[in-house]
Amino acid sequence: MFEYIVRKLLQTIPTIFGVALIIFILFNLVGGDPTYQMLGKHANQKQIQELRHEYGFDQPKYIQFVQYLKQIVTFDFGRSYATKQPIGKMILRGIGPSLTLAIPAFLLTTFLSVIIGLFVSYFRGTFTDKSVVVACVFGMSLPMLAYILFGQYFLAYKLGWFPISGFEVTFPERFEYVMLPILIWVSVSVGYDVRFYRTAILEEVGQDYVRTARAKGLSEPRVFMKHVLKNSMVPILTNLVIEIPMLILGSFLLESFFGIPGLGSITIDAIHNSDFPIIKAMTTLQALLFIFGNLATDILYTVVDPRVRLK
Amino acid sequence: MSTLRRFTISIFIGIFVFSLIGICGCTFKSKTDSSNTLHLSTPSKIKGLDPIYADDLYGGTEVSRTYEGLLQYHYLKRPYTLIPNIAESMPDISKDGKTLIFRLKKGVLFQDDPCFKATGGKGREMLADDVVYSFKRLADPKLVSSGWWIFDGKIVGLNEWREAASKSGAADYSKEVEGLKAIDRYTIQIKLIQRSSQFIYALAMSFTFVVPREAVEQYGKEFINHPVGTGPFRLAEYIPGAKLVWVRNPTYRNELYPSEGAPGDKEAGLLEDAGKPLPLADKLIVQVFEESQPMWLTFLSGKLDLTSIPKDSFQQAITPAKELSHDLQSKGIRLIKYPELDITHFSFNMTDPVLSKNKYLRQAMSLAYDEDQYIEIFYNGRALAAQGPIPPGIAGYDQDFKNPYRQFDIAKAKQLMEKAGYPDGKGLKPLIYATLSDTTSRQSTEYAVKMFREIGVKLKVDTYSWPEFQAVVKNRKAQVYAFAWGADYPDAENFLQLFYSKNVSPGPNDSNYSNPEFDKLYESALTMVDSPERTELYKKMARIVIEDCPWIFGAHRMGYALIQKRLKNYKPHDFDHGRAKYYKIDVPSK
Repeated sequence: MFEYIVRKLLQTIPTIFGVALIIFILFNLVGGDPTYQMLGKHANQKQIQELRHEYGFDQPKYIQFVQYLKQIVTFDFGRSYATKQPIGKMILRGIGPSLTLAIPAFLLTTFLSVIIGLFVSYFRGTFTDKSVVVACVFGMSLPMLAYILFGQYFLAYKLGWFPISGFEVTFPERFEYVMLPILIWVSVSVGYDVRFYRTAILEEVGQDYVRTARAKGLSEPRVFMKHVLKNSMVPILTNLVIEIPMLILGSFLLESFFGIPGLGSITIDAIHNSDFPIIKAMTTLQALLFIFGNLATDILYTVVDPRVRLK
Repeated sequence: MSTLRRFTISIFIGIFVFSLIGICGCTFKSKTDSSNTLHLSTPSKIKGLDPIYADDLYGGTEVSRTYEGLLQYHYLKRPYTLIPNIAESMPDISKDGKTLIFRLKKGVLFQDDPCFKATGGKGREMLADDVVYSFKRLADPKLVSSGWWIFDGKIVGLNEWREAASKSGAADYSKEVEGLKAIDRYTIQIKLIQRSSQFIYALAMSFTFVVPREAVEQYGKEFINHPVGTGPFRLAEYIPGAKLVWVRNPTYRNELYPSEGAPGDKEAGLLEDAGKPLPLADKLIVQVFEESQPMWLTFLSGKLDLTSIPKDSFQQAITPAKELSHDLQSKGIRLIKYPELDITHFSFNMTDPVLSKNKYLRQAMSLAYDEDQYIEIFYNGRALAAQGPIPPGIAGYDQDFKNPYRQFDIAKAKQLMEKAGYPDGKGLKPLIYATLSDTTSRQSTEYAVKMFREIGVKLKVDTYSWPEFQAVVKNRKAQVYAFAWGADYPDAENFLQLFYSKNVSPGPNDSNYSNPEFDKLYESALTMVDSPERTELYKKMARIVIEDCPWIFGAHRMGYALIQKRLKNYKPHDFDHGRAKYYKIDVPSK
């Protein structure tokens, strides 16, 4: 396994290089020119030249790309064009709020989805199963914006159960502000996840070992919790790992509407402003998270399924 | 098996812990604020709190809470009037108008901060050297301030100082600049290259606010998040992107609420606090609302003292007669309407061979665009159709003038299309129209397409993000585009410069209009003091632009502010970003 991990880690180098190259080309082709935005409405040609020189925009592209690679190695992406803030600090400041929202929402969604998935699989084909599937499809069909508008108007403004918007850095006050966004996140996500897990679980329900377990006289809950769930873990883990990088990158809509200063809104602002240093930092971070997430999944496969061997 | 169990148990524990914390969170009430706390909002994230980067309204407003400049606007008087701020008096100006001498108030202290090591953290006195240092920061090429334009080419020796800094790679702040000198501890001399009656407005803009060198050097890159000013408030808490909390600066000098104002101010209760020491509020909590719905709901729930009205909530708040709805009135909420010093417009690219040579085509398009209908649809009627480049409220605006090319008239527009050589648009290729990709811009574009189609003018619409759009316009790659301009200072020159040929793209003259006659008048007006003669020149320049039609003049927008009953002393102001020091919360009614 050690060799496998080392090999996978070495493979990250060409992958990151490829990601960097694609981002660099894309940004230079279609990313827009931040110069005019940075100088404001009174820019003149001389100032533009000075700024280009100051930020190295006048350097040949290959030198700019080498600079970018250096930044990736040191993970020092300098300062934001738009806000002049150090990017490392912006990211560190944004991770906390994003995770305060994302981790509880993710755990709750996963827990509820797996439980409901098992439950409806147990009642497969019955009215209960069909009702839950219809409810899931209905829930998935509604855009997150609809949940947000409803939640803020009825649950926060009319009923006063939650703050309408805002954020505190102190604990536990900050949780007061993320309760409603978490509820919305779970409501939006649970439908998709239940359907996915139901399918994964149902695939296992038809397997021979399930019949064997039943023939041995095991109770249905025990069959599902002990055997079916364990064998469904591979697709479940795969699905979960795909979602992990998204957790850190945050939810732009929820963060914007609820005033949560997380990474989602930082990223979107950067795209709107052609703030290339932040875009570079966030895409690199995301690529690394995907790579390490996949590696972690591979390792977890061996844990949940002893038949899997990493070579 | 044991692994699966551990995995499941971990999930349960995680959920339990987070739920417990969440439930605990529910039982905690929000921190209680002192009753004299203002709850304000900002619709955009604040980029930072360094004055030299405060290039938007919201950044300027936050910076103005703690930093101050030599001058400020009188809060109540209209038309807008400059008065001293940290300067003791208005400057002595030499006969040729090129030398300005400012004397500083004595005893103005920077707020206490650990950066003042010599005084053990006690804020030291602000001196003339601080003003010179702050102005030089604006010129430092390494710092890339977007506010450099206010000094560019205006102060003797400052451009040379910047040039030298650019060449050497580092600015030498000890090197003297001939036109920017601290004569003694409290006196500053500014020498201008040529007389300019607009220059003085720069000294009330947030770019020129005074910062202490110790703080800049101590906090380095973090200075942007660590303001140390002389102003009425000091930063108590800053969550970038979410919230700023300002508290009264205990070492703020003795500045008083104004004792005189504009007609009607006394009746409106705006002089009740005359002579009282500022600031009147103990604390300001400024929450960032990037979306309008949560801001609106927070205001309705009484947790925000002041708000604008979101477009989608306008009908809920305002009756068809443009008055406040009965429901809101019954809550004690007040509506305040005010004209904004701005203008929206379409620009024709005057370097384009089709548009530049065909005045009739531009005039025809101007006549075919129904601004009144646009104002109803897009601004809920909250705007005034513009007749020229100068908005109401500043000298040069002509209330009685009707622009002959802005009276919606399709028949006349069609006649002009014939004169232009394109009867019913025949022979005219679709014009390249650049616009932004947001919803409102796309809807506005649909409207423009419909309007111009009536006279046979087709638009080829290209949509862009804001940086791309700016690049397209500045590089003159489109033929028609929509823009807006808000005043930097209350002088018609700020609008007329948008047609000066030396300001063409990438400068603010985005239509690239060039007319020697206009330029000559503009240059004459630049050196004139405010006078009826200069106002006449402004009007003359406006008429030239109106006839040449490099723009389709759009609208001067109206602001609608809603304030809670408890908020006192609120008066809209286009330039005084630091006005929160005058606001007061009426404690008994809160």
